Amino acid sequence: MRKVVLIPMILAFVGAFFALTQQDQPLDPFEEAMKQREQYLKTFGILPGDLFASQGEELFHTKRGPAGKSLEECDFGLGPGQLEGAYPYLPRYFADDGKVEDLETRIVSCMQRIQGFKPQEINRDDVVALTTFVASKSSKAKMQVVPKHPAELAMYNLGKQLWYTRAGPRDMSCAVCHDDHAGKRVRLSPVMSPQQGLGSEWPAYRFEEDRMYTFENRIQFCYASVGIPAPAFYSEPQIALTTYILAEATKAGHSFQELPFFTR
Amino acid sequence: MRNLIWMVLACMAPWAMAQSYFGPGETKAVQGSGAKFADALLNMSADQLQCSLHQNRLPADATPSFLAAQKASIQYPKGDKFMGDWQKGGAIFNNLQKANCFSCHFGSPANLGGDVGPSLEKYGLQRGQSEAVQRYTYEVIYNAWSYFPCTVMYRFGVQGLLTPEEIADVVAYLLNPASDFNTKPALGGKR
Ligand code: HEC
Ligand code: HEC
Repeated sequence: MRKVVLIPMILAFVGAFFALTQQDQPLDPFEEAMKQREQYLKTFGILPGDLFASQGEELFHTKRGPAGKSLEECDFGLGPGQLEGAYPYLPRYFADDGKVEDLETRIVSCMQRIQGFKPQEINRDDVVALTTFVASKSSKAKMQVVPKHPAELAMYNLGKQLWYTRAGPRDMSCAVCHDDHAGKRVRLSPVMSPQQGLGSEWPAYRFEEDRMYTFENRIQFCYASVGIPAPAFYSEPQIALTTYILAEATKAGHSFQELPFFTR
Repeated sequence: MRNLIWMVLACMAPWAMAQSYFGPGETKAVQGSGAKFADALLNMSADQLQCSLHQNRLPADATPSFLAAQKASIQYPKGDKFMGDWQKGGAIFNNLQKANCFSCHFGSPANLGGDVGPSLEKYGLQRGQSEAVQRYTYEVIYNAWSYFPCTVMYRFGVQGLLTPEEIADVVAYLLNPASDFNTKPALGGKR
């Protein structure tokens, strides 16, 4: 429990820390992130993402909810409680609830089915910490999203349709940036295509925002930044886009980064 | 008149067409993700739909009518005065929330530029200030799709992101030889 209390304190402190180390002449964003990462390690001896992962670990093993159970019975696809190497296969179809779920949605459905929580009782911060913990068990693993079940194929197709949808006041689609201008920069930020390994960094701690971002947070961020209201957490468009991106990155043979990742 | 027909068509078409882009199950999935999200995606305009369907690569036979319709959407500033106040234009060009031009274009003396679009470094000195260049620059900013179908550059005039007068100010910022854009070095040196 001690670790959990420490998190808000350390995070409040690191927010100020980042502000102090901002420079006039911007570095390459990748080098900037590496530098910040080193400084966090030197100053605190631990990365913020690892604090979230250990918070998630405690939550995972604690008996909670109306049913008073831990999440150890939750099956992420490799069998109940099998966490090692489960994340790279997600999103996938789960026979127990007949749905294709990404990691975050799977955690939410287990919290409902196993622990007896009602949807409105589920705290987003808990889901983020749990997601960070489960994903940390697949650090640097090879991506394995290969849609086969008809429901997975339908998700992939929806994701592909969404990927190419031009909409909103800036006529944007994911593809017009991430495919048509892959390898270029929006201001300082490099744009990557799924074939170049888009999506390999999540969940990640973003030091500029001083927050943990899951894959769904990152998708919401891109929608919001092009003036399109973002799709809700755990909704089909979120799972569909994740399926499409990770299936394309899987075909190109990519692996995840060190998870949880540390980025700008 | 051509303008009007285009606008009527554009207003009527989206629902039926978005339905044909997203199947019935997909439409339901999009609707299940929040009313505002669904509103934005299911109300694609007819031209957004064309770009979506063709994954931003219009077939050659669809291109002339597409370009003509985009051209017809352009409204011009009073008295066709394409060059306004370059100082006001600079404030618009360099504002992330407003026009955000520098995020995609290199050449601003005030902000380090991206390279999603071509470099505009010393644009006014390169292109000159002829009536044709002024008109071209105005039209590209008002509606980039009238020259580059389905490009990533926002259609600033069509979408109401900038008024015709504001666009004329930006044209002046790019073209006026006295503008900071043409007298001061671009931030970040040569890319
Ligand atoms: C205006 C261009 C633009 C559009 C449109 C856009 N993105 Fe992005 N996206 C970016 C940029 C730039 C970054 C990199 C930001 C950074 O690295 O700091 C990014 C980053 C991402 C990342 C994280 C990067 C990684 O390595 O994992 C994901 C995931 C992503 N975008 C998904 C999407 C999705 C899904 C859509 C469509 C809903 C979308 N983006 C639309 C420009 C765009
Ligand atoms: C999201 C990225 C993006 C933004 C924002 C953007 N542009 Fe562009 N712009 C482009 C791209 C890409 C092209 C090239 C068109 C193509 O080939 O598809 C372009 C082309 C142009 C051209 C024609 C260049 C030539 O060589 O003829 C001008 C002029 C221009 N943009 C000015 C602007 C101005 C002014 C703004 C802000 C009001 C702006 N752009 C905002 C991406 C962008």
